Amino acid sequence: MKTVTINPVTRLEGHGKISIFLNDEGNVENAYFQVPELRGFEKFCEGRRVEEMPDITSRICGVCPEAHHLASTKALDAVFHVDPPPTAKKLRELLYSAFFVADHTTHFYILAGPDFVMGPSAPRAERNMLGVISKVGLDVGASVIKHRSDALDVVGIIGGKRIHPACGVPGGVTKAITEEERTRIEKIAESEVEFAKFTLKLFDEVVLQNKEYVSLILGETYASKTYYMGTVDEENRVNFYDGKIRVVDPEGKEFAKYHPKDYQQYIAEHVEPWTYLKYPYLKSIGWKGFVGGKDSGVYKATPLSRLNAADGMATPLAQEEYKKMYETLGGKPVHATLATHWARLVELLYAAERMLELSGDKEITNPNVRTLPTATPDEGVGCVEAPRGTLTHHYKTDERGLVRNVNLIVGTTNNHAAISMSIKQAAKGLIKNGDVSDGILNMVEMAFRAYDPCYGCATHTLPGQMPLDIKIYNKQRNVTHHLRRP
Amino acid sequence: MGDDGLGIHVVRMLKKKIPARDDLEFKELSVGGLKLVEEILGYEKVFIIDSVDTEHRQVGRIREFSPEQFKATEQLSPSPHVLNFATALELYKRLNPSEIPRTIRIFTIDIDPDFTFREKLSPTIQEAAANLVEIITQRIEQLQD
Repeated sequence: MKTVTINPVTRLEGHGKISIFLNDEGNVENAYFQVPELRGFEKFCEGRRVEEMPDITSRICGVCPEAHHLASTKALDAVFHVDPPPTAKKLRELLYSAFFVADHTTHFYILAGPDFVMGPSAPRAERNMLGVISKVGLDVGASVIKHRSDALDVVGIIGGKRIHPACGVPGGVTKAITEEERTRIEKIAESEVEFAKFTLKLFDEVVLQNKEYVSLILGETYASKTYYMGTVDEENRVNFYDGKIRVVDPEGKEFAKYHPKDYQQYIAEHVEPWTYLKYPYLKSIGWKGFVGGKDSGVYKATPLSRLNAADGMATPLAQEEYKKMYETLGGKPVHATLATHWARLVELLYAAERMLELSGDKEITNPNVRTLPTATPDEGVGCVEAPRGTLTHHYKTDERGLVRNVNLIVGTTNNHAAISMSIKQAAKGLIKNGDVSDGILNMVEMAFRAYDPCYGCATHTLPGQMPLDIKIYNKQRNVTHHLRRP
Repeated sequence: MGDDGLGIHVVRMLKKKIPARDDLEFKELSVGGLKLVEEILGYEKVFIIDSVDTEHRQVGRIREFSPEQFKATEQLSPSPHVLNFATALELYKRLNPSEIPRTIRIFTIDIDPDFTFREKLSPTIQEAAANLVEIITQRIEQLQD
């Protein structure tokens, strides 16, 4: 047996390792995705004042602190039994929509874009963001950076800081926005909507007009049938900030719809001894291993899952794109993992439209942005849709508000089993007779990359990058090939 | 968290040591890549302070780098999730060259990363941090000259 190990390490987002086991014929026998790190936030938060949680947990990640900050703040609302004023909720959602614009923009253009703009098998020296800039032009690159930065400015205006916002408090937010700030946000939002429309047009031209890419997206190599999860509003439309959790089965039928506080009735977590990251699954179906289908409790919570789990989008332009996506891909639900990139862009447009709606809301500058909590704290669950999936914070405190117990199910964790399955499926479809070329490995990574996985890490490695170690072992586990790319 | 929080500790020590000046600003950040580069745009000179773990670590060793020394770490292939500092800097050099600081120096101290939750530095790193504060203070004074 031979083993292929893909050992990615990133400075900010942690350490994940992919091991692919080959049989004597050089075909894939099995594949595992491991997270060999423990961060321990759930443990070391015990004993802290619960009001500190939005600031502490936002440090879980430098990429999506906004998601943790708001899930945590919503958990505080529940812990203190306080309902924020409408304007506070709208400001939180406005901040969150701006964050989604920045995050989805980054992922599409910088992380996923090179695979499509340059081609999955393009030489490594070209298959990167700098190659994308060379191909699409400096103007587009500058526009990407501008719109990402503008969206983060909105986070800064509402959250107090562009990075690690600090506005969330139990019962509301720390400050209102002025008319001058509102006007600026509205202007940014108008431009973000146009940018999102441009991005979808670019996706259409570069990806959808390319038959090879469409075939790649729809092929069996990247297909994975599971349950799908997402937050929906009262009309079952996608919502990032608030609503009920809806789960649909692999045929698209509603399987469950519940309030986030009831998550433990629906979700359980499986543990494997060889990885620190747990595997959430649908409790009533049970953990049946790394298999998809209706009889397995494995589910996904990704941009595509959110769209699969919803009946539509709550803004008009995004709804048009939603319909177009499902019409093009053959109806709901879509099981093609790579279609997650398209779903992410539909969400980008929705987030930009929602920014525009909220910035024009007549209540948005109302100075009443906090209801002071008066109840004794005890227990609460807060939930938002992080860009990478449903994010749940659950705290229990004593009567003084000191944290006694913390449970976090982060976006990527929901997808842990599905990521492992997608990697295995892609590897099986692509690695044949021991051929492990760079292009093939990149195409295996594409299955991984579609999830935009985020594994928070506490240490820094000097290379500050994602080295790729590929080790091929024979049946006796002796290394026969060792490839490494910087 | 523990020695990983070295940069923040050093910045706080520098703030205490160096009198406030209009032309000097301290920032505490826990970000990398694009967000880090976006935070240094528009400044003339920037010192970045961070802990590192290396294959040949010498715990407590102070090192100074130029961005050019990170050139080899530019990401040829896209990461699943992040863009590192060297690649983000190169991206901005192409898109927004006038905003890139004229001087960027990166100061690091080797740490032995562990996952024990502490709010303080270990004695070895505390001593190294004090030495680094002296080095950076001198460098700031030289800039003034």
